[in-house]
Amino acid sequence: MPSVALGADAGASGVLLERAAELSVLVDCLEAVGRSKRGQVLLVGGEAGVGKTTLLRGFCEARGQLARVLWGACDPLFTPSPLGPLLEVAEGSGGELQAVVARGAMPYEVVTALAHELRARTPTVFVLEDVHWADEATLDVLRLLARRVETVPALVVASYRDDQLDRAHPLRILLGELTGGRTVGRIRLGRLSLGAVAQLAEPYGVDASELYRKTAGNPFFVVEALAATGAEGIPDTVRDAVLARAARLSRSAMALLEAVAVVAPPVELWLLEALAGDAADHLDECLASGMLVFEPAGVAFRHELARLAVEESAPPHRAVGLHLRALAALADPPGGAPDLARLAHHAEAAGDVDAVLRFAPAAAARAASLGAYREAAAQYARALRFGDRLPAAERAELLERRSYACYLTDQNDAAVEAVQGALECRRRLGQRLEEGDLLHRLSSILWCPGRTGESERAAREAVALLEVLPPGRELAMAYAHLAQTYSAAGQREEAVSWAGRALELAERLDDTEIAVHALATIGFCESAEEGWEKLEQSLQLAQRAGLAEQVARTYILLVERAVGVHRHGLATRHLQVGIDYCSDRGLERDRLYLLASRARLELDQGRWQEASDSAAAVLGIPRTSITPRIFALVVLGLVRARRGDPGQWPPLEEAWALAEPTRELSRLAPVAAARAEAAWLEGDRDAAASATQGVLPLAVERRWGWLAGELAVWRRRVGLGGEVPAEVGEPYVLQLAGDWAGAAERWRRLGCPYEAALALADAEEEAPLRQALEELQRLGARPAADVVARRLRELGVRRLPRRPRRATAANPAGLTARQLEVLGLLAADLRNAEIAARLHIAEKTVDHHVSAILAKLGVRSRREAARVAAAIDREPAARR
Amino acid sequence: MPRFLVERSFADGLQIPADEQGAKACLAVVDGNAAEGVTWVHSYVTPDKRTTYCIYDGPTPEAIRRAAETNQLPVDRITEVRVLDPYFYR
Repeated sequence: MPSVALGADAGASGVLLERAAELSVLVDCLEAVGRSKRGQVLLVGGEAGVGKTTLLRGFCEARGQLARVLWGACDPLFTPSPLGPLLEVAEGSGGELQAVVARGAMPYEVVTALAHELRARTPTVFVLEDVHWADEATLDVLRLLARRVETVPALVVASYRDDQLDRAHPLRILLGELTGGRTVGRIRLGRLSLGAVAQLAEPYGVDASELYRKTAGNPFFVVEALAATGAEGIPDTVRDAVLARAARLSRSAMALLEAVAVVAPPVELWLLEALAGDAADHLDECLASGMLVFEPAGVAFRHELARLAVEESAPPHRAVGLHLRALAALADPPGGAPDLARLAHHAEAAGDVDAVLRFAPAAAARAASLGAYREAAAQYARALRFGDRLPAAERAELLERRSYACYLTDQNDAAVEAVQGALECRRRLGQRLEEGDLLHRLSSILWCPGRTGESERAAREAVALLEVLPPGRELAMAYAHLAQTYSAAGQREEAVSWAGRALELAERLDDTEIAVHALATIGFCESAEEGWEKLEQSLQLAQRAGLAEQVARTYILLVERAVGVHRHGLATRHLQVGIDYCSDRGLERDRLYLLASRARLELDQGRWQEASDSAAAVLGIPRTSITPRIFALVVLGLVRARRGDPGQWPPLEEAWALAEPTRELSRLAPVAAARAEAAWLEGDRDAAASATQGVLPLAVERRWGWLAGELAVWRRRVGLGGEVPAEVGEPYVLQLAGDWAGAAERWRRLGCPYEAALALADAEEEAPLRQALEELQRLGARPAADVVARRLRELGVRRLPRRPRRATAANPAGLTARQLEVLGLLAADLRNAEIAARLHIAEKTVDHHVSAILAKLGVRSRREAARVAAAIDREPAARR
Repeated sequence: MPRFLVERSFADGLQIPADEQGAKACLAVVDGNAAEGVTWVHSYVTPDKRTTYCIYDGPTPEAIRRAAETNQLPVDRITEVRVLDPYFYR
């Protein structure tokens, strides 16, 4: 039996067996990036020990001359240091990136600097290793970089373990967002075959099939097993293999190994000496055995699986001793500032409560300042595990901060629990001002998942409590928040009145943030033209003051209102800017609201394919906030219902189940109208009636004209009588008055082709019904077309077109579906770069499409093309 | 994964030569489907070759439509279906 240790090299060559296909994907991608100067993302997934690192190391070494390599690895700490891997990358790059990371910048600023760095040299391979351990800020950097990867000449490679991601794992959410993009590829590493295992086993004289059976072809296990196989035969588990191999080391080398295992991330040499003393002299023995390797940052295990096995086998008293020594050494590092996350980790592992209470809150504050709120929440939780040792006021403060960090990272139940704990402390201390402030925060947290009753109660309680105290910022905030609660419920008069009080007090206090909030609420609720001005004014004020959360909120309100009353130009203009704004700043929840509104806008414009894509994007990101989800489900259900595709009811039922308990008009009405439409398309009058029954009176009572109008029209359409509500949206007034021609014209001018066709379909005469039929067939609205065809036959009309003629379906100029899409966006005044971003295609491709469109339409300029597009939209029937 | 029946009509009839070119055309469709996670199981074609009834496995009807667009195939109607076998109850 050869006793020569298998070093990292042997491991590498072993793992690079059967990796030719994966290597060539990497090589091809890098070459494509080098040629086109447009970046790509490659996601490399596989189970632990399958050889992700070895593959990437091998690739980078082989291609070292052709590309620069920037490498950052995520550490397996339970709560990692925020931006840890980027720190490593910045040390490699130096320059602006290093300066930005060192000063503790937010992820979007880091990405800007990173993009500059990546553009400085061509091409770069940028590796982020083990991103399943990444902190939130690092994931944000990856997310933002992936969104603009085409603008940098870099191959971005992220490796991760795909066998341990639960549904809510932040990386899984990110992966869901990234896939589907044309710039994102995936590699999945599988295990070795029996043949490859036999090839590795051959020089050792080990029974290959036995080795294959035990290791199942996991490359790391195979290499470890080969290194450990002795008189007792092949070890049964990875752990046995690692420990058997470690057992061959001297006692001092073993102690050193343990020290490295307990400290987890690569251990700096100075730290190693502090931990292991004389045993550090045995480093060479550990390196020669192949169990430890040198990395730029320090000494580390060749693989995390080996580190875990050694760490778990260390006796507890020795581990505690090592953690204590690490704590003392890391608190006073020879150069630079101490790493607070590592200190907090060792403090807790060593059971040093004072140190936990000192370092965990500090680590949390640092994480929050870098935008790593998930890590901040975990560090606050760590400190709060010993919270009973703290005075109540201090504990309340930690609970408040934890609650905010949880709220931002969508850990809703934890946020509620923390805020309730803080409330209890403040009450006990008799701190009324703080109590009132917490109550309105509790109210916002409760609103997101639809706990509206509790939310409203807390909002009212906050105002009642603070009103008896001298007026200050807290009261103004409570007013503004109560106004928002009413606004969401569709109680606009109450909303405007409370927002007015907030605005007045905010102006007296000279508080821009509250003033902006209140002004936007008023703007959203006022039906008159002034409402738009106030929203725009609020947006400008928020932008000037750099109030990112308020900017995002105002975009959401502006867009929601514009989509609701079909001001499509205005909505489009704010949507793209708003989505980019939220995207750049990591405001993910706000971005979801805007994406959901975009889905609705696309549906209303008759762009069903895009609408269902946008809806699917929202639904692919699981979050607690139910409003964007409800809107996206409605769009998906309606696209299916209108096309006559199967599966329209499950999304509509889910939307209703989410909206119904909230009893809020803004969430109920769109679902009610969608369910009525789907029922009407199936010819189910009763279902259409009951879908709208409770909601229409609510919309009438709250005087929400557009919602009331839509619901009333659906009831009318299925033959229900009843009063016509007094104030309804414009086209609905015409529709309810029986003026189908006027209504259709109004819908067409608003840019809603499907609604225009349905308005025509309300007619009792052949000509408009024929026109409706053609229009619906052109839109691909089969079920509605069937309804109209039936009505025509009832009128005695014969010889109807069964389905759109070829020329009609394709459209007159013979444009492809994609070209039609491009034409639509071109007509909406989007530049080629914007069109490319919207359709997830390269700008060059858009250039090609535009030239082809101009040629097919026989026009010379974009403007002429836009005019033709408008003509196609306006007079579809007249052209044929 | 849900199974769908996709009806398509071809005004000029569907012409797939029974040679290498035909095989290539069919495989191109398979490639186009793969990007959407859609699998073409098989199809029935009417004798006039103007209508096809295609059995597809796919995650959503939207994926079926996107794949059809990629492959430049028309879609008249999509219906979700299950297998019913005459000997199922034996």
